[in-house]
Amino acid sequence: MINRRNVLKGAAAGIGVALGSTIAPNMLQAAPAYRSAPKRVIFFLQNQGFDPATCVPKGLKETCELDGVTLPEPISALEPYKGKINIINGLHGRHTSPSHSAFFGALGGYRGGIGIPPAGATIDHEISQLLPETILPHLCIGMDALENMVSRPTLATLSATGPGKPIFMHSNPNDLYQMLFGGIATGDVRDRFEARSNVLRKIEQLAGQHGQSLPEADRARYGNYVAGFRDINGLREKLESVSDHLRNFAPEYGDKFLKPKFETDWHDSLLELGIATLKSGITNVLTIGSGRGEIFGAWKGLGITEAGHNLGHMEQPDNPIWIKIRQYNCQMLVKLMQELESIPEGDGTMMDNTLIVYTSNNANKQHTSGENWPFILLGNCSGRIKTGQFTQLDGKRPVNALYTTLLHAIDAPRDRFNMDRNTASVHDAKVGPIEELMA
Amino acid sequence: MTHRSLRYALPAFVLMSVVAVGADKPTTFETLAKPFIEQHCISCHGQDAQEGGVSFHELSGVNADNAELWKTVWEQVALKQMPPRDEDQPTLMQRWKLSTWITGELENALREKGGFSLHLHPSKGNHLDHDLLFGPIPEDLEPPSTPARIWRIHPQEHLTRLNELITLEPEYDPKQPGMRTKGDHINPNQDGEVKVYFGLDRVIGWVGGTAAYAAAITGFPPVLTTDNHHGLQNYANLYSVNGAEATQIANNAENILRFMAHGPAAEPYQFADKVTDIDARYKHGDLRGLAQSLFYGKSAKRPLTPVSDLFNEEGVSDEKLTAAVNYLFEALTCRPPTQTETHEYLALLKEAIADLDKEEGIILGLTPIFLDRDALFRPELAEYGTPDKFGRVMLQDQELALAINAAFSYIPPDNTLKQSAIAGQLKSRSDVEREVNRILHDDSIRKPRLLQFFREFLDYDRAGKVCKDGRALIQAGGEANSQNHYRAMFGMTANTDRLIELILQEDKNVLSELLTTERVVYNKASDAAYFGEFISPQPPPKPPESTDKKAKRQPSRRVTIEPADLPAGETVHVRIAQVVDVGKAGKSNRTLTTLPNDQRKGILTHPSWLVSHTDAMDNHAIARGKWIRERLLGGAVPDVPITVDAMLPDEPNETLRHRMRVTREEYCWKCHQKMDPLGLPFEMYNHLGLYRTKELKHPVDSTGEIIDSGDPELDGPVANALELIDKLAKSERVQQVFVRHAFRYWMGRNETLNDAPVLQDAYHAYKESGGSMKALLTSLLTSDAFLYRKQGLRPTP
Repeated sequence: MINRRNVLKGAAAGIGVALGSTIAPNMLQAAPAYRSAPKRVIFFLQNQGFDPATCVPKGLKETCELDGVTLPEPISALEPYKGKINIINGLHGRHTSPSHSAFFGALGGYRGGIGIPPAGATIDHEISQLLPETILPHLCIGMDALENMVSRPTLATLSATGPGKPIFMHSNPNDLYQMLFGGIATGDVRDRFEARSNVLRKIEQLAGQHGQSLPEADRARYGNYVAGFRDINGLREKLESVSDHLRNFAPEYGDKFLKPKFETDWHDSLLELGIATLKSGITNVLTIGSGRGEIFGAWKGLGITEAGHNLGHMEQPDNPIWIKIRQYNCQMLVKLMQELESIPEGDGTMMDNTLIVYTSNNANKQHTSGENWPFILLGNCSGRIKTGQFTQLDGKRPVNALYTTLLHAIDAPRDRFNMDRNTASVHDAKVGPIEELMA
Repeated sequence: MTHRSLRYALPAFVLMSVVAVGADKPTTFETLAKPFIEQHCISCHGQDAQEGGVSFHELSGVNADNAELWKTVWEQVALKQMPPRDEDQPTLMQRWKLSTWITGELENALREKGGFSLHLHPSKGNHLDHDLLFGPIPEDLEPPSTPARIWRIHPQEHLTRLNELITLEPEYDPKQPGMRTKGDHINPNQDGEVKVYFGLDRVIGWVGGTAAYAAAITGFPPVLTTDNHHGLQNYANLYSVNGAEATQIANNAENILRFMAHGPAAEPYQFADKVTDIDARYKHGDLRGLAQSLFYGKSAKRPLTPVSDLFNEEGVSDEKLTAAVNYLFEALTCRPPTQTETHEYLALLKEAIADLDKEEGIILGLTPIFLDRDALFRPELAEYGTPDKFGRVMLQDQELALAINAAFSYIPPDNTLKQSAIAGQLKSRSDVEREVNRILHDDSIRKPRLLQFFREFLDYDRAGKVCKDGRALIQAGGEANSQNHYRAMFGMTANTDRLIELILQEDKNVLSELLTTERVVYNKASDAAYFGEFISPQPPPKPPESTDKKAKRQPSRRVTIEPADLPAGETVHVRIAQVVDVGKAGKSNRTLTTLPNDQRKGILTHPSWLVSHTDAMDNHAIARGKWIRERLLGGAVPDVPITVDAMLPDEPNETLRHRMRVTREEYCWKCHQKMDPLGLPFEMYNHLGLYRTKELKHPVDSTGEIIDSGDPELDGPVANALELIDKLAKSERVQQVFVRHAFRYWMGRNETLNDAPVLQDAYHAYKESGGSMKALLTSLLTSDAFLYRKQGLRPTP
């Protein structure tokens, strides 16, 4: 039997820069104070805001256990998992200027806005560099209206590796399938994969030749350029080298990919690809942008005929449309948990060493000032995070404090995340993680 | 130009090293550093006295362990921070020799440990003393040259070239200067986003507002990046292209090639002569933000090239394939391919077509050209000339043509320059002078690089990027809607761009005019508040009920301000957002007008510059002072030691000046005296750029002082920013420092002592022409530093 971890340990070694990443990661291993260590974190951001009335159980005003409490209808799919979640109300993101969307500011904890380039690395990227190394540390997928996923198959609005360095979300599941599983595919996919691989190898070769006559001082700098191709080709080759292992996790490549009836077919396909990368161990951080961080998006497959910006102008509580979208999100969250629970890891399952962070890229609603930013955490991150709890905070700590908490949870503690003391003096009442959340 | 060659007619035996000044014995720790330290440092930093906890008595040569200490010594000595004023001073030449030796040794010591190149960074250019460069030129100086190198192209240059592939930009129209024209910078839109869009020139309408439009239209932002810091950003030694960028370039290439072939990917119903021809069912609100909500004119507007021919004509032939390869190669690298290059890319293209079908094969097969070295880096390798006795080779032909072109433009050279290179008419200094002059005087050749210099030199383009605290914004007289604030800032940046272009057009006393002009390019609707006066933190009296719709539209404010009321002025065009003004071409809401001269004077008093030097809560007097110290006085301050806790006290009810009292402590003041008194005169404006006479109920204190400028006539107290600016604008030294920055920008490196003659010539050209930027540039671009390359040499500080 293939031992997943051994196969991948060999494959990951030597890969410095993967697609979408610009920094050679220097991986840190977790301190072994617990029986197991966090291995993966998933971020799931729905656009248009996350109204607290759609996630805070009725009547709850203070922190309490969820046992015996009924979850609101939009998130009722999580009812069986009540013991494994933490619903957080009362964080703020005023400094991220969310309005329509905080864009990179949602995961970065800094001012975002339409067209404003990222001011720094976002928390998902940061975590992907700190968790145990994998072949493709960070994968971002984005779900949108079908037409937009076709016309703009990659889009960067949520994640970044550093200032001015956005990470692109993959939105065309066919392209992503080819990238991840091209090596084990057949037919057209295989042909395209082979042709593309061939061209990329040639580019690397040509680039190498053009560097030979350079002055010494420029050779290293140009070497980075050539190394970039080596990494692209290296990633593909590493994926190919574990293709026997990957085969066990590749989703069925069928009509949902090739002939989608609704965008939700592609949403499902993208989720399946994301799950495959997590289960096969090639990725440690998955970021899902439902609505791709913008103010549009469509969910016709759920029977919702309205689309785009109109959805944002609706009140979310008791709105059948938003109940459907939120329920669809929660079904995806349940699927993620079930799939990760199905794979043993250490003494338990993959889910035991996983944390899912669910929220919106736009605080609590359309046209918000960011005064409240609800979150749901799912999974206890190898015992680091309290679950089975509703947590009411006092509105004085920013989303950055939650991200600081996540860094503590993956054993990479620090005082603050993306917030200098100047800004903190106005926006954050405390230093360090949110104690109410730490187990 | 013959005087240059005479100056270097020196016996060969003294010209063995880069700079042979005093190279009579090898420079080592023992022969150079130790005697210097013993004479100037050890009495305070020795075994017995260890002032500031620093001692040198055990110091030997430079190694990785003591590199930090040596770095400090370098900065302290180069910037004349040490020895203290009342001690014996080493000569400038002695300081220079030690500094150069230290940075050279640091390079060696840290080669295997991440390297040392801090001295080559733009922020360290002033570590070479101004008086050494503009004083008597040492006799045994080797003539200037620049290392042979490749220079990664500017992100804007890359973006502009890609834009040329898919957009038919209008040719220059002398009747409408200021309108967007072929070859211009791709400006940010009103929210600060820089992007190239597919099919923009064909869009006739869309469903929804501007946000819906921005989401619906497909485009791409710059892929290459530069550091996001104040000052010059694009030196040749700073950047490469990483794997993530290469991947994005490949992805963009695919979309660009598809668009080149077929135009906008849209349904037939999206094309019409006018929007009213389109069926109402395709204009439903639910379509907002979707690609199919855009409507396009019927006729193709994109450039039709051999690449589109290849896609759209039947079959494939060698001739068509070659034409497509050659066209794309030249469009992306700015030069025709060599035969070998054509051959290589043709082979790749054929292979890809054989592997896939024609359409997909062409796309995959042409993509590698987007990743050619010369599409991303501009070579200045001078591989083919004969070295002179100093080992220098003059750039020639293609490389020289591209270097000249890149000094101004982001797109391939115009036909005349191209032909000069092909016909062998680009061999001598006078050939270069001819072409430079021709380009400088031809307005139809757009010169975005020139404007970019002023953006980087002046740093007025960061105002929209300074994140303002919501409450601080309102308290300073800003609108409650912060988005409007950022839009006003990006708008004012574009206005300043245009003002600079107008001043460059006149080409008289350029620097002084920039610093003191009363003129402003102005958008009354968004700028009046910022150019106005802050009256009081109390809410304004409630205006009487008015039926005037205009009055009702005025934004409400919680403090009292007096918006500017400027003369009407003449209408001018300003290049802003490609995306916003669709359908409104020809209209402009900007005017060229004048500011009240008792409140403002020159660009340093415009909100674009002022706000660029603020933080979330308040003015940044230190940043403003640092700017003047570095960009106008040619000084510098050492990096803040990591042990310094650089924070002002958090006292919201005190003035910034009062909070800055902490920098007056002895340890801090040594550096802060170089910055704070130069920045505090700008306290006559609040952190949104509004003029004020009171601060926290008291008359505002805008006094300051020029301390230790290097020009004794400049030194002394000033009452406010206007007086400070006046003094600076008249200073010869300030003009020389401006010339130094121009040198750095166009050479892509810091100046060395060897460049002193080039700088002095350039300054004289500027001065004698009455402050002409054209004269300054002609001098720089015909200098040895620009024309000559030397193999295997790194720039020495």
